[in-house]
Amino acid sequence: MNPDSQVRPYPSRRTVLKTAAVLSIPALGGCVTSGKEDTGGAKDSGAEKTTENPLGVKADAPLEVVVFKGGYGDEYAVKAEATYQQKYPSAKIDHKGLQKVGEAMQPRFVAGTPPDVVDNTGAGRLDIATLVSANQVTDLADLLDAPSLDQPGKKVRDTLLPGVVDDGTFAGKTVALNFTYTVWGVWYSKSLFADRGWTYPKTWDEMVALCAEIKKAGVAPWTYQGKYPEYINDPLLSMAAKAGGPDLVKAVDNLQPGAWKQDGLVQAATAFAELAGQGYLMSGSEALSHTEAQAAWCQKKAAFIPCGSWLEAEQKGVAPAGFDMVMGTVPARSSSDQLPVTAVQAASSESFLVPAKAKNAAGGQEYLRILFSKQSATAFAEANSTLPAVAGATDGLTLSSGLGSVRDAVTAAGSDTFTYRFRTWYAPLAKAVDDATGELVNKRISPADWSTRIQKAADAVAKDSSVTKFTR
Amino acid sequence: MTLLQTRRTPVEAPPSPATKRTNPLPGIAMFCWAVVTALPLLWAVISSFKTDDEILNSPWSLPASPQWDNWARAWTAASIGRYFLNSLIVVGAALVLTMLLGSLVAYALARYEFRGNRLIYYVFVAAMFFPVFLALVPLFFVVQQLGLLGTYAGLILVYTAYAVPFTVFFLHSFFRTLPSEIAEAAFLDGCSHGAVFFRVMLPLARPGLVAVGIFNFLGLWNQYLLPLVLNPDPDRYVLAQGLAALSVSQGYRSDWSGLFAGLTIAMLPVLVAYVAFQRHIRAGMTAGAVK
Amino acid sequence: MKHGRWRFLLGALVPALVLHVVFVLSPYAQAFWLSLTDWTGVAGEARFVGADNYVRLGGDSLFLDAVRNNALLLIVVPLVTIAIGLFLASMLRTSSARIGQGYRIVFFFPQLLSLVVIAVLWGFVYNPNTGLLNSGLRAVGLGGLAHSWLAEPAFALVAVMAVLVWSSVGFYVVLFSAAIEGIPRELFEAALLDGAGKWATFSRVTLPLVRESVQVAFVYLGIAALDAFAVVQVMTVGPGGPDGATEVIGLSLYRTAFTYGKFGYASAMGVALFFATLTLAVLALRSGRRERLELA
Repeated sequence: MNPDSQVRPYPSRRTVLKTAAVLSIPALGGCVTSGKEDTGGAKDSGAEKTTENPLGVKADAPLEVVVFKGGYGDEYAVKAEATYQQKYPSAKIDHKGLQKVGEAMQPRFVAGTPPDVVDNTGAGRLDIATLVSANQVTDLADLLDAPSLDQPGKKVRDTLLPGVVDDGTFAGKTVALNFTYTVWGVWYSKSLFADRGWTYPKTWDEMVALCAEIKKAGVAPWTYQGKYPEYINDPLLSMAAKAGGPDLVKAVDNLQPGAWKQDGLVQAATAFAELAGQGYLMSGSEALSHTEAQAAWCQKKAAFIPCGSWLEAEQKGVAPAGFDMVMGTVPARSSSDQLPVTAVQAASSESFLVPAKAKNAAGGQEYLRILFSKQSATAFAEANSTLPAVAGATDGLTLSSGLGSVRDAVTAAGSDTFTYRFRTWYAPLAKAVDDATGELVNKRISPADWSTRIQKAADAVAKDSSVTKFTR
Repeated sequence: MTLLQTRRTPVEAPPSPATKRTNPLPGIAMFCWAVVTALPLLWAVISSFKTDDEILNSPWSLPASPQWDNWARAWTAASIGRYFLNSLIVVGAALVLTMLLGSLVAYALARYEFRGNRLIYYVFVAAMFFPVFLALVPLFFVVQQLGLLGTYAGLILVYTAYAVPFTVFFLHSFFRTLPSEIAEAAFLDGCSHGAVFFRVMLPLARPGLVAVGIFNFLGLWNQYLLPLVLNPDPDRYVLAQGLAALSVSQGYRSDWSGLFAGLTIAMLPVLVAYVAFQRHIRAGMTAGAVK
Repeated sequence: MKHGRWRFLLGALVPALVLHVVFVLSPYAQAFWLSLTDWTGVAGEARFVGADNYVRLGGDSLFLDAVRNNALLLIVVPLVTIAIGLFLASMLRTSSARIGQGYRIVFFFPQLLSLVVIAVLWGFVYNPNTGLLNSGLRAVGLGGLAHSWLAEPAFALVAVMAVLVWSSVGFYVVLFSAAIEGIPRELFEAALLDGAGKWATFSRVTLPLVRESVQVAFVYLGIAALDAFAVVQVMTVGPGGPDGATEVIGLSLYRTAFTYGKFGYASAMGVALFFATLTLAVLALRSGRRERLELA
C-alpha cells in the first residue's frame, strides 16, 4: 500500500479532487452507459419491519461488505460486521478490504451483481454523481429515519454531525453516508502561546494586534503552504462565510451574478491583504510546499498556519514533543457577522453507499445503521485519532491535543457549519480562486482586483453551456 | 548522445598548439560549468546522509554523522525499492521488445525491396515528430478499453510502441551500411531469411544495437508523462513517477532526508552505469571498426 | 525461397505495425476528431461542436499564458543552451584529451537523469529559506540577491529556463565537440597562421562547419522547450504559477483532460501544440539538408 495513505488519513482536497477526477470520471464510462436502462433495482426487502428490525432485514440473507482499506485500515468495518453477525447469526458475511474499490466494483455494477455495502473511497473510487444519474444507488431515506442503534429515541439522521446528510445528497436523494468528518481552521502551538502569554484571538482586530506582538517577539505571525494557494484560501473563505452567512456561500456556489463582490468576501480579502501588507506572513512561505511550511511552523518559526483537521496526523514525528498543536476557528471579521465566531468550515468523507441492485439492500442499510452507531464510531475515533461523522462519538474519550481541539470546535459550532461546494462542482473556478488568492497575499493585486478577477471567472463558468451546473 | 561521441571520437589527438600557450580561460570556463553541473548532484548525495534538521538549518554543511538510515527508510518505507523494481520490470521488458521489433522492422525495410516499403518507413518515422501530448487523451482511452490501464503489460506495450520509431530510424541507416556479401553467402548456404537476420545481420549490427539500446534505455527509464497518465496504481508506480508523487502530491511526510536518499537512489545507478558503459561502448566500436 | 521471404517480412513487420497503429497512429488520428467534440469521457456522449474548442482556446487566458511561456522558452532555451554548448565545445578542443574526456563525462550527467529527478532536486535548490542557491548567496554576502525564485512572477519562468538549460547543455557539448573534432586540424592551423584571433577562428572556421549540428540542436531543443511539462509540473508553485507565470501548454492539456475531464477541449490544445511543433521542425529544417538529421 502506498505509505502515504497511512500517514494522511484525511486526504487533502487537492488529492481528493485529483484522484476523483483522474480515475473515476473516465473509468466509469462503460459502466454507466450499460447500466442506464435499469431503474430501481432488485428490491428484495425480505422480512417484515419491526422496531427491533426497522429495515426489515431477512435474518439469513448473506451480506457482502466492500471496504476501502486505506489510512484507517478496515478493522472498524470488521467490528461492525461482528455486531451484525451477533444480531443475525444465520447470515453469512463476506468481507472484502480493498485499495482500489472502483477497479474491482465497476465490472460488478455493470453486471448487476454489486455487493450490499460499498465504501466508495480512495484513489480510483467510482464517481458518485455518475452512479446517481445511472440509478445505481439506493436512496437511504429509510435508514436515516430508522431509530439509532444505541441512542434511544433518536433517528439515525439526528445522530450525525451537521452537513453529513447534505454531503451525501445528490439531486434531492441521500445516497451516501460519509463516516469521517474534517474541519478547517487556523492552527497554533498551545505551549508556545502559553509560554509567550499569547491568547488565540476571537476577532480579526485582535488577530492583527496579536500579530504585531508576535512579530515583535521575533516570530513570524503566519506561514502558509504557498506552493498550493488553496490552503490560504480556506481561512479567507471561512471568514467571508461567517461575515455573510449561508446566503453568501450559496450565492458563490450557485454562481450568482456579483457573488464574489459581496461585502463579506471583499472584507475577508482585505483582511488577508492586510496580513501580507503588514509583513505578517513568514517570508518565503509563498514558495513552500505544505510539508515545508508545516515543518517551519512546527519549528516555531511561525505562530499560525491554516489547515484542515488532518494536520496533527500529518505532522506526527515532525512536531516536537510538547508542541501541543490546537486548531482555532477563523476570527470574526466584524461584530456584524452573520455567523458566530465558533462557526466552522466542515465536510465529511469516507463515503458508504448501498448499491441499488444489492441482493440484500436491507441488510446493507442495517449494516450502516450498526456502523454509524455511537459505539462503533467511538471505537473508530479511538483507533484512528480521527473525528467520525457521528455526533458525540468522542465524548468522554481522552483525545490528543489536536483532535481534542477539533472535537471542541465541532461541539462549539453546533449547527453553524458551512462548506463551499464550488471547488468540487467547478474545478476551473477553484483554480482561478487559488491563483487570485496567491496573488492577493503576495501583494500583487488589491482586494478589489481579487474580487473582480474571480467574478469574471465565475461569470465565465456560469455562461459556459458546456459545464453542468449544480445548485444548492 | 553517447553514440555520437563514440561513433565520431577520432583517435586521440596530440595536444593542439593552443594548449601550449597557457590561456587560463578554457580551463576556468570548463571548471565552472563542471561545478555548476556537479554541485547540485553532489549536494543531493550529501544531503541524503544528513538529518532533517541539518538539511533545513545548514544546507551547505556536511553531515555530522552519516545517516544510513535515510537510505533504508527511502528504500522500504517510501517504497523506492518497489518503484525501482517496477521500473526495472517495465523498462527491461519494453527494451527487449523494442530492440527486437525495431531491429526487425529496420532490417526488413533496409534490406528488402517491396511495394510500400517507403510508405511503411515514413509511417514509422513521422511519429517521431509528433508531440506525445497530442496522443495523450485518446491513448488513455485506448489503453483503458484494452483493459491495460495500470498494468505492466499496458505500460510495456505503450513504451515499446513509442520507442520503436526512433529505433527503426536509427537502425535503418545502420543496416544499409552493412556489407551484403556475408548475407548472400549465408543464403547460399541455405539459411532462411530469419536465420540470416538473427545469426548474421544482428551480430554485425551489434555496435548500432548497443548505441540505440542505451539511448532507448535512458529514454524509457526517465519516462514520466506516459506512466503518469497510464499507470495510476501506486503499487505499480515507476521510479520517476514515484519520486514525483512523493515530492509533489503527497509530500512524503516531511521526510527530506529520505527524499534526498530516494533521489540519490534514482540517480546513482544511471550515472554509474554511464561511466562504466563509456569504456564498454568504445571497445565495441573499435572492434567493429577493425572488422 | 520467395515464400520464405514474404513470411519473414510479414513476421518482421506486422507485430510492430500493429503496435504502432493501435498505440501511436490511432490515438493521433483520434485526437483530431476529439478536438471537434465536447467529449467528457462518458462513452457515447461525444457531441460534435465544430471549431468551438478552438474558438474557446483563443479566449482562455491561462492557455494564452501557456502559449506565451512556451514561446519564450522556445526562444531562450535553445539560444542559451547552444551558446554555452558551443563555447564549452570549442574550449574542449583546446584542452588535453584526458581532461577533456573527464569534463565530457561530468557535463553529460544531467542528460542521464529523469527530468523529474532534476525538477525535484532544483525545487530544493530554489527553496527560498533552506535552498542551496539562497543560502549560498547569503553565505558569500550576496543575500540581497536572494529571491523567492519560484514564487516571484519575474523569476519563476527564468528559473524553469535555467533548469532546462542546465539539463541539456552537456548533451550539446558532446554533440558539438564531436562535430568540431571532425574539422580538419589544418583549417585551424591555417587560421592561426593568418593571425586570426580566437573569435575570428570561431566565427569563420568552427561555426560554419558545425552549422548543421546547430540546426539539429535547434530542433531537438525546440521540441523540449515546447514540452517542459515535467519540470513545470513537479517544481513550480501551483503548478504552473504563480498565477500562470510558468504555465505551459502540456500542463494546461494535462489538467484540462485529467483533472477537469474536458477531453475534447484538451485534444484541441494537443492539436495546437502539434501545429506549433510542425512549424518549428519545418522552419528549422528548411534551410538544412535532411540527411544531416539522419546522421545525428
